[in-house]
Amino acid sequence: MTDPRHYGDGPQGPEIRIPKPNVPLIRNLLVILLVLVVGFTAVYQVEPEEVALVLRFGKFVRVAEPGLNFKLPLGVETVQKVSVQRQWKEEFGFRTLRAGVRTQYSTREYSGEANMLTGDLNAASVEWVVQYRVVDPYKFLFKVRLPQETFRSMSEAIMRAVVGDRTVNEVLTVGRAEVANEVQVELQQLCDQYDIGIAVDQVVLQDVNPPDPVKPSFNEVNEAQQEREKLINQAQSEYNRVIPRALGEAQQTIQEAEGYALRRINEARGDSSRFVALFEEYRKAPDVTRTRIYLETMAQVLPNVQGKVLVDSDLQSVLPLLNLGRPAAAEGGQR
Amino acid sequence: MNSRFLILIVALIAVLAAFGSFYVVNEYEQVIITQFGEPIGDPITTPGLKFKIPFVQKVNRFEKRFLEWDGDPNQLPTKDKRFIWVDTYARWRITDPLLYFQRLRDERGAQTRLDDILDGETRNAIASYDVVEVVRSTNREAQLADGEGEVQLERIEAGRNDIRLEILRNAQSRTGDLGIEILDIQFKRINYVEEVQAKVYERMIAERRRIADRFRSEGQGEASRIGGERERELLRIQSGAYKTAQEIKGRADAEATRIYADAYDRSPQAREFYGFLKTMESYPATVDAGSQLILSTDSEFYKYIKSSR
Repeated sequence: MTDPRHYGDGPQGPEIRIPKPNVPLIRNLLVILLVLVVGFTAVYQVEPEEVALVLRFGKFVRVAEPGLNFKLPLGVETVQKVSVQRQWKEEFGFRTLRAGVRTQYSTREYSGEANMLTGDLNAASVEWVVQYRVVDPYKFLFKVRLPQETFRSMSEAIMRAVVGDRTVNEVLTVGRAEVANEVQVELQQLCDQYDIGIAVDQVVLQDVNPPDPVKPSFNEVNEAQQEREKLINQAQSEYNRVIPRALGEAQQTIQEAEGYALRRINEARGDSSRFVALFEEYRKAPDVTRTRIYLETMAQVLPNVQGKVLVDSDLQSVLPLLNLGRPAAAEGGQR
Repeated sequence: MNSRFLILIVALIAVLAAFGSFYVVNEYEQVIITQFGEPIGDPITTPGLKFKIPFVQKVNRFEKRFLEWDGDPNQLPTKDKRFIWVDTYARWRITDPLLYFQRLRDERGAQTRLDDILDGETRNAIASYDVVEVVRSTNREAQLADGEGEVQLERIEAGRNDIRLEILRNAQSRTGDLGIEILDIQFKRINYVEEVQAKVYERMIAERRRIADRFRSEGQGEASRIGGERERELLRIQSGAYKTAQEIKGRADAEATRIYADAYDRSPQAREFYGFLKTMESYPATVDAGSQLILSTDSEFYKYIKSSR
């Protein structure tokens, strides 16, 4: 920075236009310039989420905290800043195009990242996010070249190892949380092994899908499951519709039988009481009572009978006189 | 003027020499000093400001960090004659810069050599295992989902990790004289080649169909079971009620019979009177307007119709 300007001004000044009088002015300007350059290269600012590693002639000497800091000027000490407070995010199988209330994603070009084999040798498309922080900026900068790229490769390898040990159904449904947890644990182990200075905060599985050509048959399974529930529910509701009614009707039948029993016994008691009472009196005067009952009954019965024939007991044959019904009479007349 | 010019030139040379004798070794670097192409002294592995003879000696910088190696995604045949795409990556570093400098010269040379070693070892390893061995790591039991039935996961002998370590060991044994060390190799991606993929999809579809059929059949079976249970319950309830009702009625009839018998069967006279009474009671109902009666004057009712005596 400083040298080109210095020389740039120098040769032009004395040689062509201006002779001696302006030499002090140039010298002053140079001094001011030098002071400015030294000042600017000695001061630097570290943002709140960062730390700065100070290198003196390439050798790491100290860590600078957020705020205004000083270093040896003119390139003797240089500074590399690392965001240690910020949470970094790596996306696999998709990229966030525009974050916002309605975040847009792009997945098409990244299917290669997402496609993997499961333990039952089926295929699945898994999209996931890894959130991590730089916990050791020294290691992050000086232990591994291209740490972020390395971290992505590690993450892909671990995810495939974990998914490769599970069935496709586990990955799609019941085992999701387990997959995420195990990836996190194993990824952290690999980070420690690589000395990369990264702490894995969280692994989040996003869309996990069967491959597109297989999707309809996965839906078919869901539909079949629904259908099963439907059939069972229908049968259950039919059961519930019929059985309580039958129970009620059974109660009704039994109650009616009990009513019958009560009536039958009561009637029997009543009848027998009546008979016994009657019989007590009958025993005192059997003949007259008998006659009375007979005559009363006859008096009740006979008036209703229209066809009555009274025959003298002395008459030997009653038949010739009788006209028993018209057909008989007509027959008799012809004869 | 001439002497001033000379001084200026000497000063310039002095400055250049001064700059040329200093060099900076960065935190992530190691350096070998060469003099006319020939390495001089031990490699410098500590960072900081260093000195050398200007103009004559040259600084050759090498990485101290772990370096990346990304394998070329490749179609490889497995032992069970299936082709899979395998994409690997490895980490390596320069452990002996002098040896490295002599054998490989620079990183391009190193990458080429690593390609040979790692791709070759990967190919060998993949070719000597079935595809399932490369995919799976353990023989863990699968967690079953509803209706999936038993899933037969093939048992593995070695597994992904062992194969990986085998490649690593074999590769490491071949890099000892190159001044580099391979720290790790991982399978980044493994996938079927496209022709196989279609077959796999077909198999997956068939497998899902099987599960779907199972669900449907389970639903029908369960519904039939509930239907049968309903019918059985219905018949049990109805017949049970009938049985209870008949028992109740029977007991009542028996009781009534006993009561009647107690009343009517107490003596011959009572039996006879009961017969008479019942007969009398039945006349009004059995003899109606349509009946024709021929009555003799002998009968008790009409015996006085001829005479009062």
